[in-house]
Amino acid sequence: MVKASTTENPSQSVSPMQTFFIHLICGVGLAVGLWVAHNFYSISLISNPSRTLRLIWVTMCPLVILFYSCFRKNPEKCSYLKAVIRGVLALPIGALVNALGAIALGAPVGIQYFPKTVNWSLLMSLFTFVPAASVFGSSWEDWRRIFAHTKPNASVDYMICLPAHGAVIGAWFGAWPMPLDWERPWQEWPICVSYGAMAGYLITMVLSFVLVLARGGQQHPKAD
Amino acid sequence: MMEMGDWWRRGKWRIMVMLTMLHIVGILIFTRGFLLTRTELPYYSNCSDVSESPCFTGQSNPYQNQSNSRCWTRPAVDRLVIIVLDALRFDFVAPSTFFKEPKPWMDKLQVLQKLASTKRSARIFKAIADPPTTSLQRLKGLTTGGLPTFIDVGNSFGAPAILEDNLIHQLASNGKRVVMMGDDTWVQLFPHHFKKSYPYPSFNVKDLHTVDNGCIEHLLPSLYEEDWDVLIAHFLGVDHAGHILGVDSVPMIEKLEQYNEILDKVIEVLDNQSGPGGLHENTFLLVMGDHGQTINGDHGGGSAEEVETSVFAMSFKKPPPTMPSEFDTSSCEMDLDQKKTCISSFQQLDFAATVSALLGVPFPFGSIGRVSPELYTLGAGTWNLENNIEGNCPNQKEEEWMQNYCNVLCINSWQVKRYIDIYSASSVIGFSSEDLLHISDMYAQAEENWSCSSESLLLFKDESCYSSLPLKRKIDAYFKFLLNVAELARSKWTEFDLKMMGIGFVIILISLPIYFLAMMTKSVNGFSSLLFGDSEIFVKLVFALFMVVIRACSFLSNSYILEEGKVASFLLATTAMFKLRNSIKREKMLVEAIVFLLLITILRFTIEVGLSKQAATSLFMSTHSSWLVEIDPGHPVWIYMAEIIPILALIFLAYLLYIIMARSSCHSIWKYVVLGTILCYILIAVHWASESDVLSSMLMLQGIGRNFIPRIIYAVGLGQLLLLAFSPLFHKDRDLESKMHLLIKTLAMLSSCSSTIIVLSGKQGPLVALVTITGGYCIMRLGNIDRGSTDKVAGILTFDPLSVTQWSLLATCLFFVTGHWCAFDGLRYGAAFIGYDEFVLVRQAILLMIDTFGFSHIIPVFGLPFLVARQKLLGHTDQDGRLLLLQLSQMYLMYGLITAASVIATILCVIIQRRHLMVWGLFAPKFVFDVVGLILTDILICLAWFYYVGRREDGTQLTTLDHRD
Repeated sequence: MVKASTTENPSQSVSPMQTFFIHLICGVGLAVGLWVAHNFYSISLISNPSRTLRLIWVTMCPLVILFYSCFRKNPEKCSYLKAVIRGVLALPIGALVNALGAIALGAPVGIQYFPKTVNWSLLMSLFTFVPAASVFGSSWEDWRRIFAHTKPNASVDYMICLPAHGAVIGAWFGAWPMPLDWERPWQEWPICVSYGAMAGYLITMVLSFVLVLARGGQQHPKAD
Repeated sequence: MMEMGDWWRRGKWRIMVMLTMLHIVGILIFTRGFLLTRTELPYYSNCSDVSESPCFTGQSNPYQNQSNSRCWTRPAVDRLVIIVLDALRFDFVAPSTFFKEPKPWMDKLQVLQKLASTKRSARIFKAIADPPTTSLQRLKGLTTGGLPTFIDVGNSFGAPAILEDNLIHQLASNGKRVVMMGDDTWVQLFPHHFKKSYPYPSFNVKDLHTVDNGCIEHLLPSLYEEDWDVLIAHFLGVDHAGHILGVDSVPMIEKLEQYNEILDKVIEVLDNQSGPGGLHENTFLLVMGDHGQTINGDHGGGSAEEVETSVFAMSFKKPPPTMPSEFDTSSCEMDLDQKKTCISSFQQLDFAATVSALLGVPFPFGSIGRVSPELYTLGAGTWNLENNIEGNCPNQKEEEWMQNYCNVLCINSWQVKRYIDIYSASSVIGFSSEDLLHISDMYAQAEENWSCSSESLLLFKDESCYSSLPLKRKIDAYFKFLLNVAELARSKWTEFDLKMMGIGFVIILISLPIYFLAMMTKSVNGFSSLLFGDSEIFVKLVFALFMVVIRACSFLSNSYILEEGKVASFLLATTAMFKLRNSIKREKMLVEAIVFLLLITILRFTIEVGLSKQAATSLFMSTHSSWLVEIDPGHPVWIYMAEIIPILALIFLAYLLYIIMARSSCHSIWKYVVLGTILCYILIAVHWASESDVLSSMLMLQGIGRNFIPRIIYAVGLGQLLLLAFSPLFHKDRDLESKMHLLIKTLAMLSSCSSTIIVLSGKQGPLVALVTITGGYCIMRLGNIDRGSTDKVAGILTFDPLSVTQWSLLATCLFFVTGHWCAFDGLRYGAAFIGYDEFVLVRQAILLMIDTFGFSHIIPVFGLPFLVARQKLLGHTDQDGRLLLLQLSQMYLMYGLITAASVIATILCVIIQRRHLMVWGLFAPKFVFDVVGLILTDILICLAWFYYVGRREDGTQLTTLDHRD
């Protein structure tokens, strides 16, 4: 499906080990956030969604920004610090885009939902926008390639593209149980949507690692 | 094969007409099997009617002189206490020894069990309810003695009050004073019948105690009162506990224990007062459920758990009754205390007749039940004690019982026969003539030879004792007749005809492959034999089909049907995001994509406001009110805005039309039509201005204007449509294939429809019209995003399938945006009276139809050609014209396919869920709306095709094809 790009990719090359490491860190960050919420604050996504989501994104935020910034494009021209700042700036912007998308799709609006929506969209922003912003900055071409064309070329493209799409599609499917009349607490906004997004994110991270591994295996003989 | 293909190709209109016929036939067959209909008769039973019956000939009536108050049957009980425990399962009442294994919820109503095992005057019955087992339908069934169905055609359409003859009506009109407490459904059903009522709101399922506590508060004091003859107390706690937590839960058991306590107290009070001269000397107690429930607490369907409920009957008269053992159908088991408990069986259908017989009021006119021997005996078994002649016949008591019962059955059978005769004479869909003949035969058999009176029995008096044999035979003949009638009525009114449903479904299903074939064949021979040459189109097709399929699947659950508007807007927003992604990819039309998304966001909020209206009327929605946006409608600024904005929007619409007309150079006819519409818009604006308080005083239009202007608008609209329909007669246009011409035609058609639809939709009309125009424009622009640069036709489809899907989803959203939903209370009845004050069925039905389906069916179907319109208008080449035709036909077929697919899903869902709790409340109305929508869409597509294309395509197609071959 994907051909190895003939043009030289200016971003740092990423080895499968690094991909694995980053995905592992992100996954662990997610798990730690949930674990801390559960054990230290004794809350869960169901009992207190907005605080739990906040804990998760606060835990994940430094990990995602700091690690993805290592793989920034054009490392010669762009300092590490700049990439980090880009990531931090992208967090609220991405959250806004995600929140607007969710509202267009039917997320409830109201004072009581406001903190939930904010925290959920910040988490979604971490899944989707922040890594891309750290790596690509404001390069419109790259953004378009990743999010509109879905044509990842380099390993780092896979690491950004797949989990982002996975999180969005997972969230989309996660919304489906909401109207059902099962009267379960997790059917509330944004609990099942968050579960869907996390599930999609985790699954596609594994997929991304597998693809990078497969690509690496294909490319190495060529490079030799 | 070749001929077939030729026929196929020659005229799309034939396929469209054929599909329409196919759908109509399939739906008619399916509906005959599914929608059970019964006609309500407006007749009432009267005391004097009984003289027409053959049961009292001459002096043979032994009780004629005894009592003047006697009506149909001799009153056997003076006072009746009915305690209804909603959703009372049979195993709540019966001892656990009757079941395989004891469960935690059994043996909680021990008062009843103890009485049933120790006293002869008390007995537990297993009562069988007829589906649908929802409280409202059951109460209706219990009181009318009939079998309520989905469509009870009668005067009460829309209002819940029972207008059919019923037990409560008979009680009230025969001077019985009825007191009611508990579930407020009773007050809705019988608004004027109760002497006193203490209703409590029943719709909040989460509230276990309000209704019950209200009942308890009034029940015990009322028992000491003298001012009633019949007391009804309806407890709801068990039903609600089941709905929220299921049967196996702590609150359920607590509720049952609470009931046990209350029943204990009630029986104690009744018992204490049951002495001679006491208040309850001749009182009869009935503790009963209206239906059962499943372990999960659901009910509505026809499963054993749902239909099996219980009746506990107890008479406080002494001494206890006796009954011939051959009529006792009870089965006995040892209970926990090793005492013998007997349980009889009882049909709820028989309730109205039995209670009427006990209280001595006429049986409800439409009752088809029989007076239950066991229940009747409990109440009436001993009333003729004073007549008891000392004799040495051991079975004399039984003999008298039989004679009395036979008399009651005689009246009972006569009344049922009368109902069946009048029903078949006056109902459109009556019983078949063979069935009627069979029933008449049986009735004649039962009536012949023997009369129940003692005279005919004198023949046997010579012997030492009466022979009960002929009496017994006669009672058996009556039984046979009554049971046959009940069986026939059940098969007619409560059983789905699965065969018919299956055939109808298959016929409709056949239309799906026809749609595909019709869409494919043409293009294979037409332009490109490249199957899915463009992966882009392929992705879109898959995505569009995925959306259609997922929407169809959503109809399988009642929750998604309730939230259908939200589901549609969710899917529409998803497709809009897909389009946005596409437009980012191409870096074109970003503005349109974003505007479209914003539009959907607005639609989404409007739908939620619309759903809040539904929540106010629908019980199912009440729990979801937290989703709503809160707007304070009372603020004067809002009122002012509400007056002004629609008029401004209308003026804007008129301006838009004017601009388009001015720009395009078109034939005079179309110009006149559009001018007419602009005039109509101005008239509507004047009409609304005259209705509003602010402006009406200035304009002297109130009196006549109110009805006059809408009528003018209807007339102008009709005139415009006629003009358009006959436009080919005025001028032969060969330039049909040109896009500009098609656009003008579409515009003329839409504008002539729009004025009527807008005036019917009320103030929201122009705004919705604006939304439709904007949405359509965005869809059209985004659909042509790939075309602009490379003007090639690739693959099997010549259009963007996603655009048509979006158009169809938008149409669905508009249905909900305009404040409709798929239920009969979702119709905007007010719209039917715009321009008219008096009710004429056909006229008002047409107006209501236009209002209901205007924005969601009529406008989208006629507006579909807009999607074909591209920015670049090409020359009038033959190739281009044929391409346009092809696109148009495929789009209409695709639109039809999408509509048909969702309706097929609804039908499938109705088949699967036909025993579901909400089948009558939710699935059936949805089915009716969808089916009407489908037929309407089909017909509109045919009309649109004739209007836009006509039959001319045949000639051009044939020549080009010949050329090719």
